[in-house]
Amino acid sequence: MRRWILRQHRLLLAGPLLLVFLLAAVFSGGLAPADPLKIDARNILQSPSAQHLLGTDQLGRDILSRLMYGSRISLSVAGAAVGIATLIGVALGLLAGYLGRWVEGLLMRFIDAFLCIPEIFVAIVVMAFFGSGFGMLVLTIGTLYFPQFARVVCSVAAAVRRREFVEASTALGAPGLRIVCREILPNIASVIIVQLTFTMSFAMLLEAGLSFLGLGIMPPQPSWGQMVGDLKDYVHINPLPVLFPSLTLFVAIFAINTIGDWLQDWLNPEIAG
Amino acid sequence: MLRYVAFRIWASLLTLAIVGTLVFSIIHLLPGDPVLILLGEQGASSPEVVAKIRRQLRLDLPLGSQYYEWVRGVARLDFGVSLQNGVPVLQELRARIPRSLELILASLVIAAALGLPLGVLGARYSNRSLGWLSSLAAVFSLSMPSFVTGVILVVTFSLKFQLFPSSGYVAPSEDLVGHLLYAILPSLTLGIGFVGVVIRMTRGGLLDVLGKGYVRTARAKGLPERRVLYRHALTNALIPVITLIGVRAGNLLGGMVIVESLFNWPGLSTLLVRSCYDRDYPMMQGTLLAIFALFIVISLAIDLCHATVDPRLREG
Repeated sequence: MRRWILRQHRLLLAGPLLLVFLLAAVFSGGLAPADPLKIDARNILQSPSAQHLLGTDQLGRDILSRLMYGSRISLSVAGAAVGIATLIGVALGLLAGYLGRWVEGLLMRFIDAFLCIPEIFVAIVVMAFFGSGFGMLVLTIGTLYFPQFARVVCSVAAAVRRREFVEASTALGAPGLRIVCREILPNIASVIIVQLTFTMSFAMLLEAGLSFLGLGIMPPQPSWGQMVGDLKDYVHINPLPVLFPSLTLFVAIFAINTIGDWLQDWLNPEIAG
Repeated sequence: MLRYVAFRIWASLLTLAIVGTLVFSIIHLLPGDPVLILLGEQGASSPEVVAKIRRQLRLDLPLGSQYYEWVRGVARLDFGVSLQNGVPVLQELRARIPRSLELILASLVIAAALGLPLGVLGARYSNRSLGWLSSLAAVFSLSMPSFVTGVILVVTFSLKFQLFPSSGYVAPSEDLVGHLLYAILPSLTLGIGFVGVVIRMTRGGLLDVLGKGYVRTARAKGLPERRVLYRHALTNALIPVITLIGVRAGNLLGGMVIVESLFNWPGLSTLLVRSCYDRDYPMMQGTLLAIFALFIVISLAIDLCHATVDPRLREG
């Protein structure tokens, strides 16, 4: 039992944390102690108290409630963006990995060129001109992260395609779609799951960064990154309020990364370093 | 070696040409008529002003000539003038590139100074608590968004201990010590975000090399463990770390956006964000091009370093 706990310490640490965030996101309507949009000009930038457990922001809004509603936004933007990245990335990667030859070469060169460009600059230009908002944010982040996904899937799929059981299936005359869906896909599922977890943490970081710059989720709708961006200007008055959204973001991304590391070791022990 | 250098430079120029074309086409790719977006509802009512801006942006020319003019301008380092205040884009870039470069280089030094020892520690004591500490430091660094690190550093070092100013900039020609004081927190923020990558790479590379035959030989002939580790293993393990820094230079530039905005550092990223808000097309194009060129030059420099360290590369 002790050895099991020691070996699974990462899951035991990060799993409950992640669960807390998910529950906060789903039940924020019932759990939040106050209205996240209610302005109270007489109680701005307060330190934690019995009335406001994590204090109030520059407009006197309850920070704990805003964090809970913010988890909805932050998690759903990242989740939806990862969904888009996964769908496009897996489809493209499988296609290129299965067909091989010039299709694979062409896709890889294209992706290499794309990966040269730091994502956030593209995102800044797009968000500044197309206008920010939930849909645009999801679409931009999803589009920015599918190439990495396609690259990983393509290289693993290409390796699986050369295995004996796929060749046997081809020799038996199975159609291409069947080979891709029934032979290759189940065998690379573990790689996809790991990649999905890490993309989730990248997407959350990018959303937080854009919202921090004022290019992501628009106020009064709260998102964690945006809360840090707003409150950072008031550190001289009271440094405590800005620390709560900052630490929340850190803990959430830490939990996702830790789960990713754990999944990597658990699902693909042969790659573990 | 010469052939390799020539090839890398050629490839970099090609990338720059592709990126340059993309930057040129931004003004056409973004939705709406740029002039109308720029002037707004009232401004657009005067046809003379519209025609003037259109001429200034060279939008009155056919697309082919526009592209030709753009390439000719870029080749002569002429990126046009800002639509907001009439300042030549080049002048603004010239002032800001060194400031951004300074942050990047300082943060690289910080990341190496912290990351290499922690990585060695992680590999040497891979199954003990010291090694676990190094992995923990890496996960912390990788999970901490740069503005979170920055906010924590500001609250601690600038508000509580009042060691460094919380944000702003002083030119080194005015006050060198003041300049360095302003630069410390942003560089540290950027560097801490990059430490995790260096730790993981050093640790992984070293663990890999420690299992190799030549390390066993070195141990078998009775060399002290320190010498085996630092002379035989580490020098070989560092090669992938150098490459990796090149690959991840993009992360560093991305982190720069947040750090410059958090600390009000007047570098390239703050200029990009501002010119996007202002719809200042020439400034935006010039800044984007400068950022990508900077990225390409850093990658090239690191690749050439790599080739000097690893003779296999320049032959292959």
